[in-house]
Amino acid sequence: MNRVRAPVLKLGETLIASVQEALMDADLVGLRDELVADVKRYRATGVVIDVTVLDVLDSFAARTIRNIAQMTRLIGARTVIVGIQPDVAFAMVQLGLTLEGTETALDLEDGLALLDIQLGRERRV
Amino acid sequence: MTYEKTLLPETLISSDEIGQRKAFLEFADEDVARLESVNEVAIRYADAVIEDFYRHLLSFEETRAFFSDPDVLVHVQRMQKAYFTRLTQGNYDAEYVANRVRIGVVHERIGLPVKSYFGMYCFYLRSVMQRLQEEYKDRPERAFSVFASLMKLTFFDMGLATDTYIEARERTIQSQQEAIRELSTPVLLLRPGLLLLPIIGLIDTLRARQLTEQLLRAVRANRAKVVVIDVTGVPSVDTKVANHLVQAVEAARLMGALSIVTGIAPDIAQTMVRLGIDLMRITTVGDLQSGIEEAERLLGYTVRRTGDGAPPLAGVQP
Amino acid sequence: MSDELSVPVRSEADLVTARQRGREIASALHFSSSEQTLIATAISEVTRNILSYAGSGELKLSLVQQGRKMGVSITARDNGPGIADLFSAMQDGYSTSGSLGLGLPGSKRLMDEFGIVSEVGKGTTVTMTKWKL
Ligand SMILES: Nc1ncnc2c1ncn2[C@@H]1O[C@H](COP(=O)(O)OP(=O)(O)O)[C@@H](O)[C@H]1O
Ligand SMILES: [Mg+2]
Repeated sequence: MNRVRAPVLKLGETLIASVQEALMDADLVGLRDELVADVKRYRATGVVIDVTVLDVLDSFAARTIRNIAQMTRLIGARTVIVGIQPDVAFAMVQLGLTLEGTETALDLEDGLALLDIQLGRERRV
Repeated sequence: MTYEKTLLPETLISSDEIGQRKAFLEFADEDVARLESVNEVAIRYADAVIEDFYRHLLSFEETRAFFSDPDVLVHVQRMQKAYFTRLTQGNYDAEYVANRVRIGVVHERIGLPVKSYFGMYCFYLRSVMQRLQEEYKDRPERAFSVFASLMKLTFFDMGLATDTYIEARERTIQSQQEAIRELSTPVLLLRPGLLLLPIIGLIDTLRARQLTEQLLRAVRANRAKVVVIDVTGVPSVDTKVANHLVQAVEAARLMGALSIVTGIAPDIAQTMVRLGIDLMRITTVGDLQSGIEEAERLLGYTVRRTGDGAPPLAGVQP
Repeated sequence: MSDELSVPVRSEADLVTARQRGREIASALHFSSSEQTLIATAISEVTRNILSYAGSGELKLSLVQQGRKMGVSITARDNGPGIADLFSAMQDGYSTSGSLGLGLPGSKRLMDEFGIVSEVGKGTTVTMTKWKL
């Protein structure tokens, strides 16, 4: 399902999923299933989904991403969406998508720092 | 893709528009046929006409200035000759239009005034008229009808080139205005991670959009975590303006930045609540000073007021 | 000669193509990058509706001109089941598939002009335009 389009990396207790290119819907669903399984397997406490390369985030993609965040949260990992680009953010709010209830950060670096603060971890340098 | 053929980045003319322009000039198939029928004549006269034309051009200081470089002159003359014979080759299609537009763009770029451009066309038409009269000495009505067709086509060309001129100017003006508008609302970096967007003056949809875009880019460029949007200088904050603010705040949040809106007068806040605007979705703080303090608290800076013995805005918490 | 571009909509791969074509046409018209994103997002929504509710259909992208005003027009057409309650379908949050229900009303906000015609059992056509200011 989710092979190259959004590889998942493990960094300590955090899983990082980097979306590589315009995702097909099936990839998003695949990513969701994979992340849920990985959070359980590695007892991850944090998840970062990096969408830097996406040039469009429509309502389907936003809903799937929100679902992923909610599901991973239910099984004990905080999820942060990072890398939403200015143009994309602008279009999303006009469409009515605000990703309520999900955490966001500017980029991977900020997302990891945010998780560290929220989870009371020691800062990695 | 077909649109790439018909479209030029400089002026965008759809095939519908080409048709409309021709219809208005009453440029019909018979005109095409008439022009094609004199192609052979045109080729014969081309050199002489171009020569006349440049003699005229070079005899006026204002136009001469554009052709001071002999290489340029030779090149332009060759182009002119190609243009002259092209006028009687039929096929006045999208590609023809694209060429005309390109010529308009070149003229705009070198800054050739419109009056010179029109004057050149006038001279050109007169010199062609003379040749046609000579050619069709015994059939003046023939000379006349060919000339009428040629006039339609050259007016078609002039219209295209002039619109290109205007459009290019408008684009320049527009981008200047945009630059001015951006300058009128600076996004200030107060300290690492903290942006201040002081909005002064009326906000309409266009300005709101531009402000939001500017803010979002600044958030990324400065890696901002908190943004203070001060609307003290906005004379009227109505439903529409408030909605724009909410959108700007929400878009910034998608990029990971929290916003605090300051300077909404209490009576306006009440009106907004009455109008059903969800102020709960944005953090509002009365005045700018408190807004900045709140922002710094969010960023992890401690703030102690002067008078407590400590300097303001001092100290960084781990 | 035509200024129209047709993109068949049968699978999700076409969705990506449709968005790309939309961006290309918009950038040829000098739309700003953020306007290009608005257009691509609206295209994504209506194309996805075709895939979700009708299975397949067609997207037409064209250049429109009104006087000296230029714009991009998008027509999304399908011969699917149609929409019984158009009024509701245009409300934020209304969805018959349990999704967000923002596609139609949201696209209307993203574009300058928006029209929808639908007949139950026959199909749906959405036409939307964005003008270059
Ligand atoms: N092309 C279509 N054919 C049939 N029904 C449609 C079509 N597009 C939209 N609809 C209907 O309109 C509703 C609202 O669409 P939309 O605003 O895109 O929200 P969503 O797709 O999230 O449900 C859909 O749930 C569906 O019932
Ligand atoms: Mg939809």
